[in-house]
Amino acid sequence: MTELLIEAHGLKRYYERGSETVKALDGVDVSIRAGEMVSILGPSGSGKTTLLNLLSCLDAPTAGTLVVAGRSVAGLSEDELVEVRRGVLGFVFQQFSLLPTLTASENVELPLMFLNRRPDAKRTAEILELVGLSDRPDHLPRELSGGQMQRVAIARALIVDPKILVADEPTGNLDKTTGESIITLFKQLAAEEGLAVLLTTHNTVFGYEANRAITLEDGRIIKEEQPACIPDCARAGEPRG
Amino acid sequence: MGNGLQGGAFVLPRYVALGAKNLRRRPVRTALTVAGVSLAVAVAVALGGFTLGYRGAIDKSIDMLGFQVMIMAKGCPYEAATMMLKGGTGLLYLPADTYDQVKGDPDIESITPIFIGVAQKQGSSIRDDAPSSSFSVISGIDVPSYLGMKPWLTLKKGPGFAGGRWFTQGSKDEVVIGYEAAEYEQRKVGDTYYASITPAGKPDAVMHEFKVVGVLDRTGTQDDGTVFMPIDVAREYFNRPTQLTILGIKLRQFNAFKMREFETRWLKLPEVQVVGLQQVKNTLVNLVATAQTMIAAVAAIAVIVALIGVINTILMSVYERTSEIGIMKALGARRSGVFQLIWLETLMICLAGALLGSLLAVVGAGLVERAIKALADLGVSGSIVRITPGIIGYAVLGAAILGFFGGLYPAWRASSMRPVEAISKGV
Repeated sequence: MTELLIEAHGLKRYYERGSETVKALDGVDVSIRAGEMVSILGPSGSGKTTLLNLLSCLDAPTAGTLVVAGRSVAGLSEDELVEVRRGVLGFVFQQFSLLPTLTASENVELPLMFLNRRPDAKRTAEILELVGLSDRPDHLPRELSGGQMQRVAIARALIVDPKILVADEPTGNLDKTTGESIITLFKQLAAEEGLAVLLTTHNTVFGYEANRAITLEDGRIIKEEQPACIPDCARAGEPRG
Repeated sequence: MGNGLQGGAFVLPRYVALGAKNLRRRPVRTALTVAGVSLAVAVAVALGGFTLGYRGAIDKSIDMLGFQVMIMAKGCPYEAATMMLKGGTGLLYLPADTYDQVKGDPDIESITPIFIGVAQKQGSSIRDDAPSSSFSVISGIDVPSYLGMKPWLTLKKGPGFAGGRWFTQGSKDEVVIGYEAAEYEQRKVGDTYYASITPAGKPDAVMHEFKVVGVLDRTGTQDDGTVFMPIDVAREYFNRPTQLTILGIKLRQFNAFKMREFETRWLKLPEVQVVGLQQVKNTLVNLVATAQTMIAAVAAIAVIVALIGVINTILMSVYERTSEIGIMKALGARRSGVFQLIWLETLMICLAGALLGSLLAVVGAGLVERAIKALADLGVSGSIVRITPGIIGYAVLGAAILGFFGGLYPAWRASSMRPVEAISKGV
């Protein structure tokens, strides 16, 4: 049995908006193991990003229990959440979020600065090669395509050797072919590097490439599917989200 | 997968490098902010250089007088002070017998009588209401006692100055002129020097023709701009045969006690004031103290404006990079890391401004000096703006303190951002 990296029970996240309480997430149970790729699907406002933020320790739950990499996270302060994230979680965002003045390799090495680690050029080159960008280490973001920028962002997430790779709409700004290549890379990282990959997506085709696909609606899980159970029509490429 | 090498000591330069790159993202804004800081620093450095240089110039000018005490006619102490150092146009005179009365004082080591008069330069029709540059300061001296006070006065040698000598006492048509006066008048040894002197009590000026028998080497003092002639001749031409301007005195022992004793002894003479060096120094320092305070106030305002500019620039930069800061926090940056980055950016702007401002001040020191001298007669010769490494060091330290405090709020704002909210704002 592989290592259980994320385990959440009764996870809730409520917001106060004026006198109204918004239940962004209302009692969710999730568990994710090493080497597993899990996608979170659902329409806009269903709570996908909220769940991702909670499971990746960017936000704290209003209620429920959450254990990430062996640490109980519920009730931790902002500063304590940073400590949980450091070196355990790697992040990939829809907007790529690269620093425009840094080259590809400098962007990749950026998180090491925050972890007080000295960059290792050899290691950076390995990671860039892993994501298929070994020939562009000195390119600035503006000199790269969207897909290449997202690969730099993935390399940046991997440089800290995380146990969990979190990706929020990683293919949202990419064309179909490039998006497929990114999803293929995620699958490869989960299968070969043993990473737990957690991603949100509007694209059910990409979502169903995961080992498990969790579908949310109104802050609750309405469906949890295994690849073998996914209907052919979804595989054929009709977005269902 | 292997980790990056542990290397905390290598982190600071990386923060500095990242901060520098962030600042280059908005080059015009950064440059304008740096320019604001540099202007404030330049003013502060110039002011510091002026304070230091002016005091040094006063010390040098007074030391180069050669005497410690002067006896002169009662009058405004400011005028007395500047007259000592630069000559002057509002001259007051002592009875010549003051010299005979004072010279026997047992505390006096040496004494020299000086008569100062103002002559119109050749071809000048400007009289008392004209600027001092239209006049020549004529100093009537007794050469042996005067040189006894100022042994460093030497005659210029070389082409055009060969055979230079002091005039013979009593010679009515010989002058020795100071270095700057000779330069200005384009005179060499053997040349003719004309001076238009208005005798006291007479309505018209009389043109006198002199032979230049010697030109002095540069001293950096008021002597450089002076035309010397025998004291009796000067008194005759100015029609003040029984008057003196100054008695320069060197005491055997010079201290506050002796000075007070000497002063008390000779204040009994009517119409006389005894002026000590320290008194003159204080007077001259007081002359510019008000101006210095005003300039310091301007510098303080410039510093405050620069500080506001720096805070504004960094705050704008923080707001623009809200999403980026959120990403950094997601990637593992602690509050302290974000704080450090933003704070370093502020510090870099201030230090860049300090270095540029210091450079501006050094390069512009001459201009500043000319401007100050044009605005006010400071009563000293030589350089009055002296920018030392120490002053620049203080300026850099001051800018660092400016950056330290200026960066606190923007850095705190950035470090306090919650990553979830920061990231979502940028999307």
